[in-house]
Amino acid sequence: MNRLLLWFHQLGSPPVFDRFAARWTPWGFGLGLVGMAIGLYGALFVVPADYQQGDSFRILYIHVPAAWMSLMVYALMAVYAAIALIWHIKLCEVLAMACAPIGAWFTAVTLATGSIWGRPMWGTWWDWDPRLTSELVLLFLYLGVIGLNAAIEDRRAAARAAGFLAIVGVVLLPIIRYSVEWWNSLHQGATIRMFGEDAMDPSMKWPLWVMIIATKAWFVGSLLQRARADNLAREAGKDWARAAAGVEK
Amino acid sequence: MSYLEYVIGAYAVFALYLAWDFWAPRLRLSRTRREIAARARREAARAATAAGKEPSA
Repeated sequence: MNRLLLWFHQLGSPPVFDRFAARWTPWGFGLGLVGMAIGLYGALFVVPADYQQGDSFRILYIHVPAAWMSLMVYALMAVYAAIALIWHIKLCEVLAMACAPIGAWFTAVTLATGSIWGRPMWGTWWDWDPRLTSELVLLFLYLGVIGLNAAIEDRRAAARAAGFLAIVGVVLLPIIRYSVEWWNSLHQGATIRMFGEDAMDPSMKWPLWVMIIATKAWFVGSLLQRARADNLAREAGKDWARAAAGVEK
Repeated sequence: MSYLEYVIGAYAVFALYLAWDFWAPRLRLSRTRREIAARARREAARAATAAGKEPSA
């Protein structure tokens, strides 16, 4: 078997995953923190104020990365849930359910920072605009997944039910992404694009990219840490879990 | 800096989220470890009690 494929199969084993997560969690958090320190320094002290929005545009450096993460984490959660449902891989159930609180918080941060920016720029904290409303629905979907997972006692049945909800909810992602194009929206179009022209001056862009990458590194750390705790709780009766918890034989 | 209170408010929300996201899974992991250790102690105590009660041949 291909070595990479073999490693991937082995990673599905709970004790191997525990060791993997223990090793890479500090790297995720560490790289995320360093990246955010650099990105936020650039965002707050290096880039010039916007000619129209003044300094309030600096909120964008946390709002946009959080918004991207809210969508990316949901897509990843649905992928893990689909793998778990199709191939019955227990670790994918753990990873899918570990995604939910992280994604929910990124969505809440997106809504909160957007609202704080909207007050001086739009003159209101909230508007039932398609982008804002669909992002709020995303938060409710995350909460639904978390609630369903917590409501069922059997951990595997809970993860399967919540995973199914996560998969169904994927339909919301393109609605959020294209809501500003499909409907008349108070929310502006995409500020930056991966490919092609965007609306942002190049001098203002680098801290945003640093923040986008840093939030992803942070997410890796958070996901591994949460999945590790859940994995250990599910395997509490096993010898390896006892050894990992520091219990002597 | 213009709109300072809004910028501070938004960054404070983000900082609070990061702090929670860092500590919450860490606390859960240490609680899980404690629970595993407590369960192992209970099982060891039960096994010792059972062994003590066994009738001698």
